[in-house]
Amino acid sequence: MINFEDVSKYNISKVTLSVPKGEVVGLIGTSGSGKTTLIKLACGLLAPESGKVWTLGKDPMRYRQRYASDISTFIAGIPLLDREDTVLQGFETISAVYRMPKDIFKHRYTELSERLGFSELSGRRVKDLSLGQKMRAELGAAFIYEPKLVLLDEPNVGLDENGKSALCDIIKEISSRGTAVLLTSHDMASVSRVCSRFAILDAGKLIFCGSMNNLQSRFMPINTITVKLGGSIPDLDDLPIRRFSLNGDTLTLEYASNHITAAEIMALLLKQTEIREISIHKPDLEQLILQKGGRK
Amino acid sequence: MSILSTLLQFFIFYEIYRVLYHGAEQVDGITLKAVTTNFVLSLGLGAVFSPNDYFLPGKISDGSISTELLRPISFKGRMIAENVGNSLFDLIFKFMPVLAVALLTTGMSAPAGATELLLFVISAILGFGVLFSISFAIQMTSFWLINVWSITTIKNVFINVLSGSMIPLWFMPEGIRKVLDFTPFASIYFTPVQIYLGQLSFRETAEKCIIQIVWIVVIYAVGNVLWKKGQQKLVVQGG
Repeated sequence: MINFEDVSKYNISKVTLSVPKGEVVGLIGTSGSGKTTLIKLACGLLAPESGKVWTLGKDPMRYRQRYASDISTFIAGIPLLDREDTVLQGFETISAVYRMPKDIFKHRYTELSERLGFSELSGRRVKDLSLGQKMRAELGAAFIYEPKLVLLDEPNVGLDENGKSALCDIIKEISSRGTAVLLTSHDMASVSRVCSRFAILDAGKLIFCGSMNNLQSRFMPINTITVKLGGSIPDLDDLPIRRFSLNGDTLTLEYASNHITAAEIMALLLKQTEIREISIHKPDLEQLILQKGGRK
Repeated sequence: MSILSTLLQFFIFYEIYRVLYHGAEQVDGITLKAVTTNFVLSLGLGAVFSPNDYFLPGKISDGSISTELLRPISFKGRMIAENVGNSLFDLIFKFMPVLAVALLTTGMSAPAGATELLLFVISAILGFGVLFSISFAIQMTSFWLINVWSITTIKNVFINVLSGSMIPLWFMPEGIRKVLDFTPFASIYFTPVQIYLGQLSFRETAEKCIIQIVWIVVIYAVGNVLWKKGQQKLVVQGG
């Protein structure tokens, strides 16, 4: 649905990325890494300095208006609803602009306003809403018509846990119907809940693109196993682990997941001793980004 | 509130000119009745023709211009529709009350004839077109200017002074008057007023209406070039 080919703009340099139909791709990176720039390039609000952007197979700069109904763009901080309108009026304007049939609009509005929790706000003016309330209504506006491609820039900003999980459910639902989604976020937890693929931007460069498993084995090979021993201390000399420490009967092992699996380690340990408790810890995305940021 | 302000403005001008006329039948061949009619029509039309000068600037400053550009409808079309809609509302709720009050309290001329009334309506619509084009072109500068308040104010001063809605253009010195006749300002209110009063021959009416159309086309075209350049700036440099 979107193809970036060697795209450069501002600090974005030579990014090649594609978002296939029905997939949810999470764009992750620290502030200023170029996430919003990529979203704006995808919808045709920015022209690339070099390289090519194809959105729905067309140049979004030229076909922005013609394919507008097939794409929905939400950029945190850019209002979709007029602030002087009430929430319902704002949605009615959108439904008129996108020529939605009345019954479909009503049905969809009721559903979205209940799921995102803004049904009681229908008669309130947008300018009188709190940040969280406004975000819920604005997100609803991004999903009201059913496009083939949804671009979401920081959709989690200002949302509470209920809001985040409602958003996740909606994204999963539309992607199961074939809609492609490209979203950016700092909120790693909900990104990993909803995305099938990840793209990591670091200072304008795409340093990774692939699934969660790939991401972990490539960027976070260091996993930790903590076991409580029920027997003698095992001999660890033959294990290709990085480090171990013993504290009473608690043994902590750090290993590279691309060299050895947790199952292999456990098999070797169980040959030599008894184990009462076990926990395996994989570093999460948030830590990865922090490490990346810290390394610079 | 704007009904009151339009009425107030009308009565202030009316009283000033009534005192200036000091009971005289006419000054420079212009009757008080014609002056009154000029104010009723130009201030009344002024209340109707009030393009929202901050439509685009507002959208650029809060970022919603992006939202507008991503919609499947033309932004310029939306601007025109929004202004025409507001003007129709103002026609009923602002122009009509002013007209009614003026008819009851002051001596205002009736239209010179049915044809003149029809031509007045056509010319008034064209006048609206001129005013809208000016506002459209000025609004486009907001792609480059951080604050458009000053340029908008300058524009409005020019319109107020040179369109005849403050000083009827009959009282302008002959030389200035000749120049003003060819500016877009005179064609906003003064052309319709002259047609209404039957001061123009058929040939002059046609000429003035052509001047109106030429100004609409020229100013709108300038605005359109700025609109294209502005969008280009937006996609190259970002909002």
